Amino acid sequence: MQQYIDWFKSILRKPDKYAHLKRFSLFKDLNSFELYLLNNHLHTRNYKAGEVLFEPGYPLEAIYLIEKGEIEIIGPSHPSGHSILKKNQFLGLMDMFHENIRSSKATALCDVQVLAVSQADLKELIDKNPRMGVKILLAVCSSFSNYIFHLANPGDSKQ
Amino acid sequence: MNWTKLLFYTFILGLIVAGAFFYRWVLANLIYATVFYYILDPFVSWFERRRFPRWAAVLSIYLIIIGVVAWFTSRFIPDLVQQGNYLFDFFTSGEQLSSEYIVSLPFVHGIYDFLANLDSQIPGLALAPKMLELLDSANTFLATIPKLLMDNYQNILSTLSVIATIPLLSFFMLKDKYKLRKAAMELSKNRYFELCIILLRKVDSTVGTFLRAMLFEVIVVGIMASIAFSIVGVKNPVLIGATAGVANIIPYFGPFMGGALAALSVLIDGGPLIMVIYAALAMYIVQVLDNNIIYPVVVGGTINMHPLLVLITVIAGGWYGGILWMLISVPLVYILYSLTKVLYINLRDFRII
Repeated sequence: MQQYIDWFKSILRKPDKYAHLKRFSLFKDLNSFELYLLNNHLHTRNYKAGEVLFEPGYPLEAIYLIEKGEIEIIGPSHPSGHSILKKNQFLGLMDMFHENIRSSKATALCDVQVLAVSQADLKELIDKNPRMGVKILLAVCSSFSNYIFHLANPGDSKQ
Repeated sequence: MNWTKLLFYTFILGLIVAGAFFYRWVLANLIYATVFYYILDPFVSWFERRRFPRWAAVLSIYLIIIGVVAWFTSRFIPDLVQQGNYLFDFFTSGEQLSSEYIVSLPFVHGIYDFLANLDSQIPGLALAPKMLELLDSANTFLATIPKLLMDNYQNILSTLSVIATIPLLSFFMLKDKYKLRKAAMELSKNRYFELCIILLRKVDSTVGTFLRAMLFEVIVVGIMASIAFSIVGVKNPVLIGATAGVANIIPYFGPFMGGALAALSVLIDGGPLIMVIYAALAMYIVQVLDNNIIYPVVVGGTINMHPLLVLITVIAGGWYGGILWMLISVPLVYILYSLTKVLYINLRDFRII
């Protein structure tokens, strides 16, 4: 009997197959169910070396999480005018809280795989799942705080 | 573009055309299932947020709907069947709807007397007998309705099979919502990816909000009309109220249809002329409540079209495909209009055009 109960539980239980999303600092505190909800809205995209992800002035719709490869960002919000983002970093978040318009240009430096989430979907997730929303927003604050310290002491802080 | 690419795209286009041809019979079912999907999706998401797997969420909602339908059936269907049978017998029995009976109705009698008077003054005109002939031929046609139903049992069965298929199709649409979306998005090129997301969201918000608002309005107007008609004493208030609720979807013409049906019911029943005014007044009050409270709160904002354009669209829909197209023409035009607008703005913003 117990083995039938276990089997039934295993059907109902969502396996923690989205744990890999925790490596993005934005989602590191989410539990497996919240990661499942998030994963529903993630789209995998592949870019070839030299391909442009977006340019300044484009409407901001997606936030990109880098799974593989490197992306160069050129824009005013970067201290030296440009920066290179690597695996497990994300792009688009700053503009999402600014004017919803891209302020920089992003180009794939090599073959890149990213996870894209619509900013509207992310805001809806935050709105409809307040606990999850608080975790994400705290992570956003932490990320922005790191970024400000990085701007103040370029050689001293991690981004 | 090289030849290999051209050949491949031609092959894909051929496949799409062949697929559209092959699946054309189920296209209507898919549209109905999509409507069902948009209405139920917020409830499935609500269950999902409470840790229900999507398949369990959809099944739970289906069970709730079956329960509500069963309750509604046991509570209201006997009344509806009784009222429907009454009208059905009324229309199909030659005795009740004979020309002599109709002419004896107070309102019609006045018209008949007027025509008979004309006949007596203008020899050879014979309008009154022609009116009786017309009424008799209408009566003969109505009496053939049961035979028509019997002869078309195959169509009725196929309609029932469509009704049975829709929940099954929408079950998979609801359960695999995110898989289907991801698969659709994978088809888009990187250049158009964000544009496709924006368009998909626009379709979701426009169609979903509109359909749910309309359903709510149909139910509320149906209930209010039923109550109003039963207060003023119109026969078959539930049936006529429900019909008025559905007809109400058609802008401008719908409310008149509901009112006209109630007035017709009073006239056929031989009620006094004042009852027609009461029925019209009841429908008017329902309309005032709908236009000033329900529509602005529930539907308002979902459709933002100039009244003249709405009117023209409804008339064009009616000419094109009758009542069904009168129902769907306004939302269809609005969806196409708002999608084109969003598409144009974003094509420009993404510097594609």
